[in-house]
Order: sequence, then C-alpha cells, then structure tokens
Amino acid sequence: MSASLVGQACILVALVAAAFGSVTAFVLTRRGDPRGHAFAVRAAVVFFCAMLAANLTMVSALVGFDFSVQYVAQVGSRATPLVFRIVSLWSALEGSILFWGLILSGYVAAFAWRYRKEEARFIPYAVGSMLAVGVFFAFLIAGPATPFTEVSPVPPDGPGPNPLLQNHILMVVHPPILYLGYVGMTVPFGVALGALVSGEFSERWMAPLRRWTMIGWGFLSCGIIIGAWWAYAVLGWGGYWAWDPVENASFLPWLTATAFIHATIVEERRHMLKAWTLSLALATFALTILGTFMTRSGVFNSVHSFTQSDIGPTFLVFIVLIVVVSAVLLALRSHLLVSTGRIQSAVSRDAAFFLNNLLFVALTFTVLLGTVYPLIAEAVRGVKVSVGEPYFNKMAVPMGITILFLMGVGPALPWGQATKQSLRQMWPSVSTAIVVVIFCVAYGYREPGALVTFALAGFAANITLREMFLPIRVRMREKKEPLLTALGESVRRAQRRMGGYVVHLGVITIFVAIAASQSYVTHAQATLKAGDTMQTQQYTLAFKEIVQGQEGNRRFVAAKVQVTSASGSTFELLPRVNYYPRSTDPIGSPAVHDTALGDLYLSLLAHDPAAQTVTLNTWFFPLVSWIWWSIPFFVIGTLISLWPVRARVQAPAPPPPRDAEGASA
Amino acid sequence: MKINWSLVITGLVLAAALAWVLGKGFGRDPHEVPFMLTGKPAPAFTLERLDGAKGEAKLADFAGKPLILNFWSTWCGPCKIEHPVIEWGFGKFGDRVQFVGVVYQDSRENVDAFLRESPPKYAMLFDENGRAAVDYGLAGVPETYFITKDGKIRYKHVGPLDPSRLTQEIRALLEDAPK
Repeated sequence: MSASLVGQACILVALVAAAFGSVTAFVLTRRGDPRGHAFAVRAAVVFFCAMLAANLTMVSALVGFDFSVQYVAQVGSRATPLVFRIVSLWSALEGSILFWGLILSGYVAAFAWRYRKEEARFIPYAVGSMLAVGVFFAFLIAGPATPFTEVSPVPPDGPGPNPLLQNHILMVVHPPILYLGYVGMTVPFGVALGALVSGEFSERWMAPLRRWTMIGWGFLSCGIIIGAWWAYAVLGWGGYWAWDPVENASFLPWLTATAFIHATIVEERRHMLKAWTLSLALATFALTILGTFMTRSGVFNSVHSFTQSDIGPTFLVFIVLIVVVSAVLLALRSHLLVSTGRIQSAVSRDAAFFLNNLLFVALTFTVLLGTVYPLIAEAVRGVKVSVGEPYFNKMAVPMGITILFLMGVGPALPWGQATKQSLRQMWPSVSTAIVVVIFCVAYGYREPGALVTFALAGFAANITLREMFLPIRVRMREKKEPLLTALGESVRRAQRRMGGYVVHLGVITIFVAIAASQSYVTHAQATLKAGDTMQTQQYTLAFKEIVQGQEGNRRFVAAKVQVTSASGSTFELLPRVNYYPRSTDPIGSPAVHDTALGDLYLSLLAHDPAAQTVTLNTWFFPLVSWIWWSIPFFVIGTLISLWPVRARVQAPAPPPPRDAEGASA
Repeated sequence: MKINWSLVITGLVLAAALAWVLGKGFGRDPHEVPFMLTGKPAPAFTLERLDGAKGEAKLADFAGKPLILNFWSTWCGPCKIEHPVIEWGFGKFGDRVQFVGVVYQDSRENVDAFLRESPPKYAMLFDENGRAAVDYGLAGVPETYFITKDGKIRYKHVGPLDPSRLTQEIRALLEDAPK
C-alpha cells in the first residue's frame, strides 16, 4: 500500500475519532450519561494514535525519498541531510498543519488521560471541545491542506526545503517549541468552554485551566525567544525582533496568556475578574488561531508566510466560529460570573495586578491593530500602507517600561491595602535604582530610555530577590534550618510564587538586554581588500582572504576575518553566504563572537573573489545574548510552578497580613 | 435563561469585522512588496554616469520617450542573471524605449571592474549614497521601474525580469495602457 493511502487512511481515522468523541461527549454528558466521558477519553487516545501514525508515515516518506507523496515531491530532495529531511515535516504549509495535528492530538490525549477519573462535569465537555478543534484540523489535513495526495508520474527528485530553514540548527528546535506553545492553548480553551457549557464555576476548573495555560505559556515563551535567536543568527541583519506579522502572531497570545496567569492569581485571592479571566483564556486561543491564519492564509506579508493557499477561508470560518461561540457562551453564563471581591485601594497588590492586566490587554490591542491596520486601510480606504517598527516601538516601549515598574511594585505591595510600613520597605529597592542610575551616568551611559529601563530593572530585581530570599532567611533564623532545606521548603510551600519570581528574573534580564543592545549598538560597514583592517568597538578586524567550498548540498563563500580584541587576544570569524541548489537567492550566514558583555556580529554583504574584496557589515551589540540566556529562567520558573505536589486541603482563608505572607505563603 | 445581549452583540460585531477585514485580503500575494508610487511622477535624480559619457545625468535628460530604470549591483547574483535579459531588451526595443541602469550600494572598484569586462550598451548611473534608491522606494535589487513618456511610474518589477515579462511590460508601456 502506498504511503499516500496509509496517510490518508490515518487522517480519516483521526477525523472520525475526533468527531465521534466530541459529539458523544456533549450529547451523552448533557443527558447525564457517564459513558460520554469514557467515550471521549478513548476517542482522544485513538485520535492521537492515528495522528502519530500519519506523521510517522510522512516522516518515513521524507526520509525514504518517496516522491510519490505530493508533500515529499514539494519539499524533499535527495541532497538534503537526514536531520533536515525530518525537519521538512514542518517546513511548508501542509506538513506544518499535519505536525500541528500531532501536537494537538497529543495534548488532547494527555489531558483526557490525566483527568479520566475526574468526575467534574466540565471535564467531558472540555475534552469534547478540544476534540471539536481536532475535527477542524483533521478536516484541514484530510481536505484543503492534504499533504498525502499521490503524484503521478513520480518525479525522480524534489527541490528540498526552504534554504532559510536548512541554514541553522535552531530551525530544528524553534517550530516544535513554538507549536507546543501555540497548540497548548487549545487545552485552556477547552477547559474554559467546558466550564461555560457545564455552568460549573467551582474552584475545581480553575486549577487545570491555570496549569495547562502555564504549560503552553512556558513553551510559547521559549519558542518566541528561540525564534528571535534564530532571526539573529540566520537572517544577517543583526536584529532579533522586527514586529513582523508572524512574530506579532506569536506575541499576541503570549500577552493575553501572561495577563491570564496574573488574572487567575487575583481571581483566586480576591474572587474578582472571573469573567475577565475566562475571556482571556478564550481570547488566547482565538489569537493562536488568528496567528496561524496570518502565517498560512497568504493574507499577510512576512518572512514567515508560506505560499498562497486555499485554506484561508476555512480558517476564517473557524475564527468567526470561535469568537461567536465564546461570546454566546459568556453571555449565557455571565450572571454566574459576578465578582464578589473588590479592589479596596489603588495602592495594593490587587490594583497592581489589575493595572498589569489592563496594560497587557492594551498592548495586545496595540500590536493587533498595528498588524492588521494595513488590511483595514486597504479594506476601508483602498490604500496600501505598511505599519513599521516606529509605530510598534513608540507604543510598546512605554507600556513595557510600565509593566517592568509594576513587576517590581506588585510583589512589594500587600493584598488589600498598602501600609506605610510596606511602602517604607521599598526603600532599599528604590536605592538600588538610584545606584544603578548613578553608576550608568558615571560610566557615560546616558541614553534616557535605557537609563529608565536599567533603573527599573534594578528596582524590580531587588524586590524580586528580596521576596524570594525573605522566606528562606526567616526559616533559617526561626526554624534553624540549613540553607538548602530552607530553600527547598520555601519553594515547596510557595511553588507558584517562587516559579513566578524566577520567570520575573528572566523577564528583567530581557528588558536589560533589549535596552542595552538597542541603545548602545555600534555599526560599521566597509569594503576591504585582503590585508585591510577596520575597527568595531574594541575589536580590530583584518580581512585575510575569501574562502570558497562545497558542504553537503550547499556551496559557500566566506570571508576569513582575523579579529584582535582590545586585550590582544585573536580569533577568526567566517561570515559567509550559502548557495543552495534550486535557490536563486544566496542565504547569508553571519558570524557571531558571543561574550557576556556583548556580541561582535559580522555579516558578509558582498564579495568579489576575482578582486579579493569583501564588503562587511559589522555590529557590536552589548548584552544581546542575555536575551537567549534568559530561557533557563523561563524553563526553571515554569517547572517550579508546575511541579506536581500532593494536593493539600486548603480552606479558603482571608488574605494573611503581609509579613506573615512574605515568610510563609 | 438570562442572557447578556450586549456580549452577544459585541461578539457578533467583532466576528463580522474580523471576517470582513481578513476576508478582503484573500488572493493577495504575500510576498508582494508594497509600492506607493504607481501612477505618480518618477522622482527626479542627478547621478554620476558610469558609461562612456562623462559627468552627471538627470531624469529630465531622458524625457520624451518611455524609460526603463533598472537598479542592480555587482554583488547581487540574480542581477547578473538578469543582465543579459536587459541587454537583449535594449537590442530589441532600444529604438523606442530608453534603458538606464542604476548601480546601487556598491563599491566603485567592483562596478568599474564589472563594466570593464562587459561595457554597458545603455546609460549606466551610480547611486553612490543610495539617495535615488530611497526616493524610488527600492526594497532590494534587482528592481525595474517602467516609466511612461510623460514621466509617470507605470509599474515596478521586483526580482529578475525574464524576456517574456520584459516584452509584455514594454508593450504595455508603449501603448500606455492603464495598469
């Protein structure tokens, strides 16, 4: 049997399983029949197995050069190395949706299995909703975006995947992690719908909603940072973020998911913002689907966009459906979602969280508006416009800085109402900010935007570290515990808080890195003959020769540059251009010398082997690598928050006074 | 059952607006480079000549006949592939249409070496500081502007031209049919 047929059969099984599971979950659970839940769990497992089989079929076709499968004929090539043949699975539209289907089915099956013994009524509805999303994707893979069409006559070879994707190993990591983040938001969406359909708004649904959002959020954060890293390491323009529609597409659900995670804390503590929290979970999913639409409909102009395709209208119908269903369900249940708590004072942790949420949502709207504005202008006024970096930077930077400020102030303020004492406790942090400013000014770093960012970063880092170490110190002093025990106990007793603070440290690191690398970048460009030198920051660059060669399926031209640092140490950098067969455009591959204080970044702009001249674009980016080195903070922080613990019975208690909380919460 | 109609209406309006705006975009080419100068007068320039004629050339010097303005560089592979096509077009249509090459973001030595090896058959100019490229909204090379005899940009082609596309655009330019 041909791979095409096997693949199509698997997808059909997946489609039927998802549809069956979804329908039975809703119909039987509505009738009060517990078999609805059992059927949904089994259907979810079958859905996963079928998707896995379909993906394995495609990978084996890619690896084994089965050009009778249309997708392999489109992206496969005998010249592509093994790892990139596997990666080709997500290098073009149809394959990426197939891979999406696999991750989705994995999440649905994992959720269904994890809660298979849970009796709450919202669970079968949640699984049913997720399977309904599965129906949509299985339908896409079976019909409008099928990769399994049989090609006849079978071509002897194919063009290979997009050269940009073959150029760097990060491409192997970036899409799966980002997809795990994106697709992961299906689970909170399912849980939110499940809660809305069942009308069950006890504390029980909030915990899975929060946990599964955290999983997706962790992946999404890492995926976005790795994407920025990839752009920096591959695209050769020295940047890492360009407010490209597809970058925005991943940033939008991240913003609402971040807002959601903070909102759940307020919901839990103060019993406020229930409807708001649910809306954020629903919006996050809608934005992931909108993001997928942006990449795959051919409507947006972007470095990521796949070729024009016919799946746009199908996606649009799905987006409309999500928005309408979410709005109607919220409308039906809004009387059950009334807040019982209130914000008592503007100077309190509640207010800081609330303001944080408003800012995140305002930032979401700002970015969304900037992204779709060209489409709105064209639809309404018939003119073509493009919204560039200046708009986004102008709008996002002040909001980002305010968020950084709140990240410091929020944890320092008590719930309810701030006391004079809690405000006085902020003095050491304010002094840190002042010291940072004095230090920066003394060393000549006087750019106002960067100065404000560094100061607030110092302020927020001081408070975050204090909040992390205060309970440890208290335990060591009062319970005479050794450091490690006190640390372990403090983390165990306040997992989510500690995890959150670790993530905050990562975010502070990113803020500092962005401010430094944007404000103090040095750029130079020069055409050099062999033996010529140029200067970038403290480095002297001497161009030696042009090196050419063949490497697997690509030819390369590189400039051998000897770099001498101020300390006298020398090393060699080889910025290069790769030429892939069947690609008319050369793919630049910058060379980066990465140090903790900054990166020397060389990009080969032009070369003339006959004259032995090269034109080099050189940059020095201070602290830029801190952006990627913040990933461990996100991973560790998320893991600490999510680490399974035995459930403790907790009676809802009024918020404790601030000092007690700092020591034991 | 209580229902919050304002929420329903907000959702419906939002969905309709999204569908309308996003739906309008179908059929677009995602890789199309936005270009605002179509139908507008071609921006004036004064650039150094690199061909046999010495001194500077202005846009006004080329008035009277349709003009094909081709931006290129020696470092750009596709430009080198395109070069013979433009020369072929000049051979075929050179009596009715003017051809002008503009070298963009390049070093003088590289350009001189290139032109020594293949001397230009048509006017060749040097956009040393990239001023003309900015005025023309150049997004990359090669890009070719088709300018009518009354000095308006009729069409911009992004990427290397092939003979059939070049012929098609020159014919349209000569007929001055509305784009």
